[in-house]
Amino acid sequence: MSLSDLKEWLYGCTHCGTCKEVLNIFAPACPSGEMYRLESYYPSGKMLIARGVTSGALTLDDEVLERIYACTGCLSCEQQCGVYHHQHIFEVVQALRTEAVTHGYLNPAYMIMVDSLKKDDNVFGKPKAERGDWAKEIEIKDASQENVEIIYHAGCMLSFDPELWNIPQSAINIMKATGADVGIMGMEESCCGGRAYEIGYIGEFTKYAEHCIETFNSLGASTVLTSCSDGYSTFKKLYPNTGIEMKFEPLHMVEYIDRLISDGKLKFTKKLPMKVTYHDPCHLGRHLGDGGVYDAPRKILQSIPGIELVEMVRSRENAWCCGAGAGVSQANPELALWTANERLKEARATGASALVTACPWCVRNFRDTVKEYGEDIKIYDISEIVKKAL
Amino acid sequence: MIEALKNTVVAELEKIVGGKFVSTNQADLYIYSYDLTPAESNWPDVVVLPQNLEELREIVALANREKVPVTPYIAGGNVGGLTIPLEGGIIIDLKRMNRIIEVNDTDMYALVEPGVTFGQLKAYLDNNHPTLRYTYAFSPPSTGIASNAIVQGLDNLSFRYGAASAWVCGLEALLATGEVVKIGSGAASKTWQAIAPFPELDGLFLGWQGTTGIVTKTAVNLWPKHAYETAVTLMPMDLEGAYAIFQAIIRTRIPDDLIGTSFQLNKVGEAAYTHLKAPIYPAPPVDPKDPEFVITAEITGNTQKELDAKVEALAEAVKEKCGDHKYLGPDTMPSTTAAFPMQALGVLSSGGGLMWVGTYGPMSTWLETVKRGCELQDKYNIARTCYTRMMNEGHFAGLRWMLPYDKEDPELVQIIKDLCNEQLDLVLETGYIPYKTPVWAVRKLEERVGPDWIKLHRRVKEMMDPNNIMNPGRWGKPG
Repeated sequence: MSLSDLKEWLYGCTHCGTCKEVLNIFAPACPSGEMYRLESYYPSGKMLIARGVTSGALTLDDEVLERIYACTGCLSCEQQCGVYHHQHIFEVVQALRTEAVTHGYLNPAYMIMVDSLKKDDNVFGKPKAERGDWAKEIEIKDASQENVEIIYHAGCMLSFDPELWNIPQSAINIMKATGADVGIMGMEESCCGGRAYEIGYIGEFTKYAEHCIETFNSLGASTVLTSCSDGYSTFKKLYPNTGIEMKFEPLHMVEYIDRLISDGKLKFTKKLPMKVTYHDPCHLGRHLGDGGVYDAPRKILQSIPGIELVEMVRSRENAWCCGAGAGVSQANPELALWTANERLKEARATGASALVTACPWCVRNFRDTVKEYGEDIKIYDISEIVKKAL
Repeated sequence: MIEALKNTVVAELEKIVGGKFVSTNQADLYIYSYDLTPAESNWPDVVVLPQNLEELREIVALANREKVPVTPYIAGGNVGGLTIPLEGGIIIDLKRMNRIIEVNDTDMYALVEPGVTFGQLKAYLDNNHPTLRYTYAFSPPSTGIASNAIVQGLDNLSFRYGAASAWVCGLEALLATGEVVKIGSGAASKTWQAIAPFPELDGLFLGWQGTTGIVTKTAVNLWPKHAYETAVTLMPMDLEGAYAIFQAIIRTRIPDDLIGTSFQLNKVGEAAYTHLKAPIYPAPPVDPKDPEFVITAEITGNTQKELDAKVEALAEAVKEKCGDHKYLGPDTMPSTTAAFPMQALGVLSSGGGLMWVGTYGPMSTWLETVKRGCELQDKYNIARTCYTRMMNEGHFAGLRWMLPYDKEDPELVQIIKDLCNEQLDLVLETGYIPYKTPVWAVRKLEERVGPDWIKLHRRVKEMMDPNNIMNPGRWGKPG
């Protein structure tokens, strides 16, 4: 989308400030606004910047761009705002980013990422050949060579961060324990393109969307399963915009596990005496609108013997972001870590000893934050917990 | 501000609060340059966000030394263009000074810093003092408690207690000359229960729109929160009926809050609650079967029995005194407090703009004023959008015509401005005084108040702010 496509939404905002806090709870809702406190960092400020850019009062220079890129795309603002433009706030931010890219105002942190996409189909500058290394020790079908019912799409983060490999490995273990016909693409897997979309590189996103849909369609799998919430919302929400028919069902691991439990295919044999809280990833919740996946992870945790689940004040649709989204963890680690630490403080206030979530971007950022700020709490992906209880 | 001075000021500000909380970024200057009204925008030179009184004191001392204008800012949501820096200079955004310093349960007051919002105080009271309440304004929850009091706002306990400035039971203010003054009992004791019996020096700050000093602490009354509440609505078919119903209810002294709105305003606003645009122009066709007005009385009780008795007494009073008028109701519905924090959505959903001629005036000319104001809206083909609140048990009325508009439509903006000009002339003629007064209305008002009033006003301003740095160009001294 370009700013001109979004014209009807640009003047919706009166700058009333309702987006700043969670409705009725009145706890902060916007990470960048809350950290920097200047109006330009809040969603209403960004709406006004878009208006200023459109009217010619502002130019998209480095100063203005710094504000535009300080947004985790968590969509909490869209949850709190009730005005008619409310579901288009991040689209406007994203369009400003696209406008910047189109006019050659490039963020150096993202140029590295985009170069890596062009060269190696991932956002981390890692060789494409290493993409499937996380599964080296696992016996699993090669979905690019054999027919499978389910393709497990690891995504960039889980493929290239060895500290997180326990997550996809746990996911595969769970599937195999229940007899699923699953395979992976290995080095043939490519980025979903979601991050490129969020930082304004629409051309790159479209390229990956078309490639992924056509590949999955051609392989004939009924399901594309992922543990990555960013990837999942890209499949589910952004891919349909390409207009290409998707002959597969995108599924998130929490939905899959929840179905296994409901169908009686997954039994827990071990007790995990833990008090945990669950962090809703933005891309598994608000990004999916009415289809937000909130109940499934909670049902999973509550069905594991020994686990006591406690809720944070801001949860489900009102969850505070982990801080990693929309390219912030790459370009503005200070904001990413601060945002995560605010969440960890909230998690600790529940008395939980562990925070469980369902997105590798959240896990990575929370674990980095624990190292940086020292909050005493363990961070898990939900598949790791489920695997422990099998 | 000339560049050399600006550089000096910015460098000094960075020393005071740290670079992170000082901005000359074009995006910030643009955002702080205008608001939701059609008031002319003007860019500040720099924005600064202090965290405490000491930092604020140093900032004001710097501004006074260098004779640089300062404009205090909290949420920027007033409908008077009051935080637009008419002469540039420094915007002091006070949102980081947001501590609820004290809630005294026994003496029933809260002492808050200027950045504390209605939402924040409500959440704090709900969690920590559930038997006490403050009020809510007809505005978003991000509205500042202190700013609402300073600009004499009208809230949902205004029928019982008057304008928000009347609930201030203590102040601390920073003067342009650097002194920090406590006003009220807090000046001489540890508690902030009342201004009386001191001389009422709070009047040097309340209603002055930040032109005499910066209020750094505000003590406001809290009230017991009754367990039982309901709202009673009546819908008169004409304005004469509305006036009669108001009169009948006022004399009962029963409600906590008594408001009325044009039926058309409610009708237009309905769209907003389904996330649609809610335009008032051109005016939608009026169904002759529709009532003219919706009147809501907010009632509370300690018991269900007390609540029921109040509802019954109110209904009887209306029946007895308004028999000659046609109206629908009374009907009871859930308390309007349930609508907080989204109660203003209906007038915030028309395209980024909201304007009104907001006034306080006598009930004796209410009917004439409302009628003529609505007729002016008819003339401009704008839906009737009157909003009125009976204040201080009916001793005066708050009255305005809400004008949500599309900022992108220059033709409509001009219509809104022209309509407001005419409505302002009307209200001044019928004895209504503009509040949250935009600068163009201040000048019109000054034409009516007489030279001695202006002399006194300017003398006070000069005494409080000798270098005219405090939000200059507004009350007390033109630009």
